[in-house]
Amino acid sequence: MHISEGVLSAPVLATGAALTAAGCGIGLKKLDYDRVPQVAILTSAFFVASLIHVPIGPSSVHLVLNGLMGLLLGWAAFPAILIALFLQALLFQFGGITSLGVNTFNMAFPAIICFYLFAYAVKGRNHLMSMAAAFACGFSAILVGCLMVAMSLAFTGDPLVGVAKIVAVAHLPVMIIEGLITVFSTGFLRKLKPELLEAAHAKR
Amino acid sequence: MLKGSPLRRYRLSRISRFMILLVVLMFASIPRALAHRVILFAYAEGDKVFTESYFSDGKRCQDSRIEVFDSSGNKLLEGKTDRNGQFAFEPPKKMDLRIVLTASMGHRDEYVIPAKELQGGSEGSAGKSGHNQASKKVLQGEKGKPTGQLGRPEVEQIRVAVEEALDEKLKPIMRLLAERRNDGVSFVGVMGGIGFIFGIMGIILYFKSRKGR
Repeated sequence: MHISEGVLSAPVLATGAALTAAGCGIGLKKLDYDRVPQVAILTSAFFVASLIHVPIGPSSVHLVLNGLMGLLLGWAAFPAILIALFLQALLFQFGGITSLGVNTFNMAFPAIICFYLFAYAVKGRNHLMSMAAAFACGFSAILVGCLMVAMSLAFTGDPLVGVAKIVAVAHLPVMIIEGLITVFSTGFLRKLKPELLEAAHAKR
Repeated sequence: MLKGSPLRRYRLSRISRFMILLVVLMFASIPRALAHRVILFAYAEGDKVFTESYFSDGKRCQDSRIEVFDSSGNKLLEGKTDRNGQFAFEPPKKMDLRIVLTASMGHRDEYVIPAKELQGGSEGSAGKSGHNQASKKVLQGEKGKPTGQLGRPEVEQIRVAVEEALDEKLKPIMRLLAERRNDGVSFVGVMGGIGFIFGIMGIILYFKSRKGR
């Protein structure tokens, strides 16, 4: 879901960059410095996840992990995703430097939404509810991400509904896989390190 | 030797075992790990230009838009890739062509095919005149040199024949080169990126620790 260089118009790029800058500002302000190593680990997970292809479906798709990022990092997902995407653009030519702002916002904004929607339920007592919320978190982070991508492309003239459909259908396997990944990761953390699930809430 | 040393008694906590497992899985996935981008390459054959488009995991870009621009940015023609990600066209002008692929979901790549390559065709009057022009230029450049026993027209013919033969021979190699041109992801890149991230972490923590004092 990396939008390449030269696809979007300048106003869209500028808006994306501005929104990402704001998000990163909030993220850094809320970031507790004791959690920097955790952010770094998840940043590298996100950085590598894009290399793992999901060979199902008509198009070429890969893991994103933005749901998990949002869940564990909260607003710190913004700077984390920015750094990971910057390195992907630099080292692998995924996306591009000019479209970095838009791409970061497209992935990080759904992460924040999912954080507010599901993080409370995920760390809750009810085991089944927690699992369901974790799945929904991983699933919908990708779904919202697809909508964001479709919206960015719509501003430059592509039909919104058509693109949204194509992107969402292509990413359906990824949504399911990421839902499961989020369930397993949070299940593991609940048993071993429940404080990690709380961490994102610690500083508001 | 290690008997009784603290190393021997050191046992991995469950979380570090999990981290090790993750790292191992990561490494295991790297050989199959592929970049996520589209790649376009084009080559001239005869009087046509052939383009091939694919995602970097090898999947072909089907039904994607191909646009061809001239060197000053005017759109010359437009088309769609077929089921094998291929699209062929006859270049309307003999000049540097910028071919732009726009695949689904905001993927885009471009490839510039220089005017020189377009002249490789043996058919088509435009191609031939291009040849002659090129040869003439070269000949003018070598004006001072003796051309031996051969007259100028013969030299020209030989030159054209050699060029054609070379083009034919080099085509597969050119294609291979074009195909391999942006193989973005490498093991070094992946490790480098992870190293960058932890380096940034180190810098942040370093400044934090200095502030704390």
